[in-house]
Amino acid sequence: MLNELLLNFARWLDSFSWSTQLHESYYMYAWIESTHVLTLMLFLGMLCVIDLRMLGLIFPGVPASTIARRLDTPMMIGFVVMVITGFILYFAIPVRTTQSIWFRIKVVLLIAAGVNALLFRNKMHASCDTWDLDPKPPKRIRTGAALSLALWSGIVITGRTIAYDWYDCHKELPYFMYWLAGCVDEMAAYQ
Amino acid sequence: MDLLFLFEWLDTSLLAQISKAYGGVFAVVQMFHLLAMAMLGGMVLIGDLRLLNVLLTNLPSEEVINNTQRWFNVALLVLVISGIFMSSAVAMKLYYNEMFWAKMTSLGFGIVFVYLIRRPLLKFNHDSIKPWVLKLLAVASIIVWFTVAASGRWIGFS
Repeated sequence: MLNELLLNFARWLDSFSWSTQLHESYYMYAWIESTHVLTLMLFLGMLCVIDLRMLGLIFPGVPASTIARRLDTPMMIGFVVMVITGFILYFAIPVRTTQSIWFRIKVVLLIAAGVNALLFRNKMHASCDTWDLDPKPPKRIRTGAALSLALWSGIVITGRTIAYDWYDCHKELPYFMYWLAGCVDEMAAYQ
Repeated sequence: MDLLFLFEWLDTSLLAQISKAYGGVFAVVQMFHLLAMAMLGGMVLIGDLRLLNVLLTNLPSEEVINNTQRWFNVALLVLVISGIFMSSAVAMKLYYNEMFWAKMTSLGFGIVFVYLIRRPLLKFNHDSIKPWVLKLLAVASIIVWFTVAASGRWIGFS
């Protein structure tokens, strides 16, 4: 049911002439994808420094809250650019992307990273006064930072593997993989 | 000097056998390459934006540069190692790719710039360096590393 809804939505996006034009344009698509990838340096670069500080591996003499607060704005600018360009990339190839296992895992990891960031932020604000100046923050904070880095590593790898056609719907795959990728037509043909 | 022999060797090396045969391994190495790129870019941006008085202005610029330089070195090392592995999968194609050589040239320039110009200069007390020199260093550094990353991305499109 959900897969059909998602596929119908993707097909509706695909019916726009802009979607096809964007996909087929050589330079525009390449520029948008490059912007998406290069903004990693701004967003993930800042996130890396914040998480490394929370792990006690960088800026040990600087209060953790100072690093988090000061790098928050450039990090969020990077995040917004990544989200906008990400949506445009999805709009350019909606059907295949919707039925990509990697894209689906990426979305799940993005949600997990968002939840982790919220919990992490709350935890940090609640207890920051007690360890802000410690070169090495408490274990629960370090765990949150390590989880953040692991989740974003997963997002990077799944984002990159969307380009590979290993598990595309047109290939002969086990039913489970069709289900995972949401290959509606292929699942119907199986039954 | 023609480096064709180096690429021919890489194309038939054990690295090439692994990178060509195992797409999953290639993808994981590529992840490390991208993560290292993000880390390197982050360190460059934080250091240079501090020199431009845009970011972390409440911290001494020497402290920011010292902290970011260490992780810049780590990121560069990971980038080079993962980059060699990734190149082995398409060594001959890269040899004839102009954008690859643009990236290698800018990377070489970037390494020379960092270790022979930026780093020795920033070892001095920053107050003793003219502000326009610091700003010029920062702008040049951002341009150089952006060029390295952008030309690297464009290899895939050329």
